[in-house]
Amino acid sequence: MSEYVIEMLNITKEFPGIKANDNITLQLKKGEVHALLGENGAGKSTLMSVLFGLYQPESGIIKKDGVEVKIKNPNDANDLRIGMVHQHFKLVDVFSVLDNIVLGVEPGKFGFLQRKEARKKVMALSEQYGLQVDPDAMVEDISVGQQQRVEILKMLYRENDILIFDEPTAVLTPQEIDELMEIMRQFKKEGKSILFITHKMNEIMAVADRCTVLRKGRCIGTVNIADTNKEELSRMMVGRDVSFAVEKKPCQPGETVLEVRNMVVPSKLHDNNAVKGVSFDVRRGEIVCIAGIEGNGQTEFVYGLSGLEKITEGSIHLCGKDISHSSVRERSIDGMSHIPEDRHKHGLVLDYTLAENMILQSYWKEPFQSHGFLNKNAMNEYADRLIEQYDVRSGQGRDTIVRAMSGGNQQKAVIAREIDKNPELLIAVQPTRGLDVGAIEYIHKQLVAERDKGKAVLLVSLELDEVMNLSDRILVMYEGEIVGELDPKQTTVQELGLYMSGAKRKEA
Amino acid sequence: MMKQFKQKLASPAYVGFMSSVITILAGLLFGFLLLLALNAPAALDGMGALLSNGISNLNSFAKVLYQAAPLMMCGLSVGFAFKTGLFNIGAPGQYTMGAFCAILLATQFQMPWWVCLLGSMVGGAVWGLFPGLFKALFNVNEVITSIMFNWIGVYLINLIFANLPMTLANYWGATNSDRTADLAKANPDAMIPRLGLDKLFGSTYMNISIFIAIILAIVMYVVLNKTTFGYELKACGLNKNASLYAGINANRNIVLSMVIAGALAGIGGGLYYLAGTGQYVLEKAILSRGFDGIPVALLANSNPVGTIFTALFISYLSVGGSAMQPNFSTETVNIIISVIIYLAAFSLLVRNLLGKAFKPKATKEDKQ
Amino acid sequence: MKKLIAFVMAATMALSLVACGGNTNSTNSTGSSAGSTSGNSAASGNTDVGFVTDVGNIDDHSFNQYSFEGVTNFATANNLKANYFRPADDTDADRLDAIEQAINDGAKVVVMAGYLFAPCLAEAQQKYPDVQFLALDVSAADLPDTASNTALITYQEEQAGYLAGYAAVQDGYRKLGFLGGVAVSAVVRYGYGFVQGAEAAAQELGVDVEMNYWYSGSFEANDEIKAKMDSWYASGTEVVFACGGAIYSSAISAAEAAGSNAKIIGVDVDQSNDGEMVITSATKSLAHSVELALTDCMNNGWKWSETYAGKETKLGAAQDCVALPMESSKFTTFTQEKYDELYAGLRDGSIVVDNTSDPAVHPETTRVTVDWQE
Repeated sequence: MSEYVIEMLNITKEFPGIKANDNITLQLKKGEVHALLGENGAGKSTLMSVLFGLYQPESGIIKKDGVEVKIKNPNDANDLRIGMVHQHFKLVDVFSVLDNIVLGVEPGKFGFLQRKEARKKVMALSEQYGLQVDPDAMVEDISVGQQQRVEILKMLYRENDILIFDEPTAVLTPQEIDELMEIMRQFKKEGKSILFITHKMNEIMAVADRCTVLRKGRCIGTVNIADTNKEELSRMMVGRDVSFAVEKKPCQPGETVLEVRNMVVPSKLHDNNAVKGVSFDVRRGEIVCIAGIEGNGQTEFVYGLSGLEKITEGSIHLCGKDISHSSVRERSIDGMSHIPEDRHKHGLVLDYTLAENMILQSYWKEPFQSHGFLNKNAMNEYADRLIEQYDVRSGQGRDTIVRAMSGGNQQKAVIAREIDKNPELLIAVQPTRGLDVGAIEYIHKQLVAERDKGKAVLLVSLELDEVMNLSDRILVMYEGEIVGELDPKQTTVQELGLYMSGAKRKEA
Repeated sequence: MMKQFKQKLASPAYVGFMSSVITILAGLLFGFLLLLALNAPAALDGMGALLSNGISNLNSFAKVLYQAAPLMMCGLSVGFAFKTGLFNIGAPGQYTMGAFCAILLATQFQMPWWVCLLGSMVGGAVWGLFPGLFKALFNVNEVITSIMFNWIGVYLINLIFANLPMTLANYWGATNSDRTADLAKANPDAMIPRLGLDKLFGSTYMNISIFIAIILAIVMYVVLNKTTFGYELKACGLNKNASLYAGINANRNIVLSMVIAGALAGIGGGLYYLAGTGQYVLEKAILSRGFDGIPVALLANSNPVGTIFTALFISYLSVGGSAMQPNFSTETVNIIISVIIYLAAFSLLVRNLLGKAFKPKATKEDKQ
Repeated sequence: MKKLIAFVMAATMALSLVACGGNTNSTNSTGSSAGSTSGNSAASGNTDVGFVTDVGNIDDHSFNQYSFEGVTNFATANNLKANYFRPADDTDADRLDAIEQAINDGAKVVVMAGYLFAPCLAEAQQKYPDVQFLALDVSAADLPDTASNTALITYQEEQAGYLAGYAAVQDGYRKLGFLGGVAVSAVVRYGYGFVQGAEAAAQELGVDVEMNYWYSGSFEANDEIKAKMDSWYASGTEVVFACGGAIYSSAISAAEAAGSNAKIIGVDVDQSNDGEMVITSATKSLAHSVELALTDCMNNGWKWSETYAGKETKLGAAQDCVALPMESSKFTTFTQEKYDELYAGLRDGSIVVDNTSDPAVHPETTRVTVDWQE
């Protein structure tokens, strides 16, 4: 029997115009946790999709236990006992946990679902691995962490022994991340093999045995974790040295720029308010960070601040001016810049060119507009300047359709546009989400530079490292309320985690 | 050298053009097979008639132009709304409303042609306004409202015409009252000027409507591509959330977009009935020309300038089709024309395939 | 989302194409090359006699179909080629186009049926002086002038209506209805003839007759007409003379709903095949008259003889061109002898039916009470 349970040999997968995987070899040993590391667009997801049968490679073969296999679709993968927890969970929100787990492999007699049998099996698995879930709860009602457990149980229920985790920790609290690591170790002990996609060094160091690094569709190498360190791994990943720590001068806060009092924003999903009476200030020259687990009202909080959603109570003052009920454009004129959470949804018109996107907030102003006509020359000149100044890279410069650009450069474009407005207040929501180390480093520097220019910066982030490194003050948001104010120099990730999960809150 | 050639092949304009040509050829081939199946001995003649009749003589060519004008307007209407993310299936109703206003002004009020044409624009715009308002204020899907407004429009117009004797043909000396007045009798001033083109082409079909339509197509192109208003509209269509984020008043743009789309279709109705060659027949059926605007716009990929050509193409086919009689019945001809248009709609698919085939292999530099 | 839009677009296209087919008033399509009738004409496309339909198709069970039947009968008998041409749309310009297509295809004579042809005939007869035109149901008054290459045929509808009205009362019906389409002269003459025939029979029998009389204002079937017919049948009307193209089908469906006592009288052609409720039809012999005229033209070297050239020829009982189809009629007491006697009277002129066609002037009646409805 072969040493490897899965071998992907010389895989090449092309998309129009790009080789997403170029002759990549990945060998997974039985009973190991194998990390797959790479920047965004390095080809990790493509490679895993090939393994899971979602794509067919142009060349290369896949072997299971030394025998060549063809994986044409996820069912084939399942037959080979390959399971995958996707980055975006594939669950039916309005089904119960149990139904979601058995979906697709329902035990049945004469077409009737044998729930009892299924429940017994699920409960046994849940017990065995410490994956506590309520089998009768609706998926839409349970937390993201629990949803992930459901995904894991799905794999176990199907008796998969090759488990792929696609960036599983992005949505978890520090405590949940620790639990997940523990579960992975347990799987390993039982001889299951794990492929772990991530770009977080800490997690790799903590749990992985070996690591394969991809860069721009190519395999840079496979290393034993025991023989390497974070710095080497990131060098392999990015191709140069990267500093993790954000260098910044001490904070020197000035006058108050943003003053929010008792702000209430309704929720679109349910009758309760998503933001329940939040009050805080942001001053010149400081970075205030709103930390919290996804789905605790941050999105609505930002909508309320930016004017995308009407606030039902409370007030917002920007530089002393009441903007509680101003329109988006009025707020923009008054000096608010907003790097939105979802650059695809809000930040960019993907089918516009880069130049057209650069004036998305200012197309109606001189010199871009004259007598109702767009001044293309002014637009192009402006775009060229921003591209140059903020190092936005793309295939055809300002004429590139933004959809064709990489995520990092799309984000850079948004940031260039928003910072170049020279705002009083910069709201940056998840500005580094899904970006690679190099881009993150750049964006962090830009934010600090804005602070140092005396701007007020409000950062909303789910990434704990970012929160700890960048902010001058941390406000923790839990279920639509600010439950704690922390000084990053005097707190720990663990304490922050307790606030974020609602286990701890400041005394009222 | 070879590489240069390949790059030329890969240019989007060339790929777009080739894909249209290929799909049209495929459609014609399929149409020919159908002809063979239906009446083999006459198939070749039939195909010849279909393809050549439109330019066989000036009169036919005049008819191609005459039919293309209202089609173009309907295509512009659908395409314009589509560019802004709205599906204007209400073009038939707006077209009918435009026709109604034009005929009413021409017969009942004895207005000159340009007043009638402006009236048709207003009529169509009003009929576009309602679905736009419902969409903007209550988020009612514009497809549903505009389909309903198609029917409301048709019945309302029949009702009004039936009760306004001056609008009907029999008031002006004809025997029948089931259609509106012959403009030549009722109000020759309301007919779109021919500027001697009818003499030049030797056809009563020929008037300046095709030029009006082409000018409007170009105007629409400018509005969409050169103005801030067009920038806003397209942003709303491509990404409504981003346009909200940019402070664009999306609701206002939805209404405006539907009003403009309605006005365009309305002008189409005006152009057709003010030509004086067709009379509005009080039927209980929706005028299909508005629906034909959908394939016109789709084939042109909603590009206003492209619409000029697709409208001419479809008009050319239908003029060619009528010359396929008597060997093929009009129903058969309609099937064949429909199949050709239908296959032409696959051009997007072919475009992607061609794009792949012509693309030079990705080299190291390209990948950066 | 894009896929969805694409799908909707595709679906709507399909829908719009269906709609294209639907608007032209067509009755059921005849499918493949219905146009050519005399076998070998297919490939060459040569036409000796061309027929142009008005708005309906060639299989409309009415004017187009039976006129064309006359054309094909004539062509077959004389070993000529006949084809029909259908205008692309319901406009004068499209009808003129179809006429020109027939001429381009070699037609020596172009036959057209229906008053809608008046404007384009006026133009065509000037433009093509060497081609002969035959128009059914177009009167001289409809044209500015009638050129010598044009023959117009109209019918004495009042005689056909008279036959139907007389027969209905003789057969025992006492509550009659007249449903007209648009009040054009042919329809009015049918209606007034119907009133006069009923009056004659009522006087003869010494009975009183009631009649509902209404023009729908349209030649299209619609719910308004059906509702009106429903109310007539419900209030006791026994038989309705449905006169005007497709509105006939509204009357049929009302009669079906009203039960076995509700009857219909058909018009123009023998409509007895349409159901038990059709007791008879007031017919014009379209095919026969077309054959007569075409034969005249052919024998005169493809030119109209004096009989037809440049004028309106009114055909009636004298030429055997109006009739009730007695063999397919469902009369109980009205006999063939009675019919023949009546017909002879019309033929020799001893019975004169007033041919007024002004909708505002009503025929006078004594025993028939007419409810002139708006």
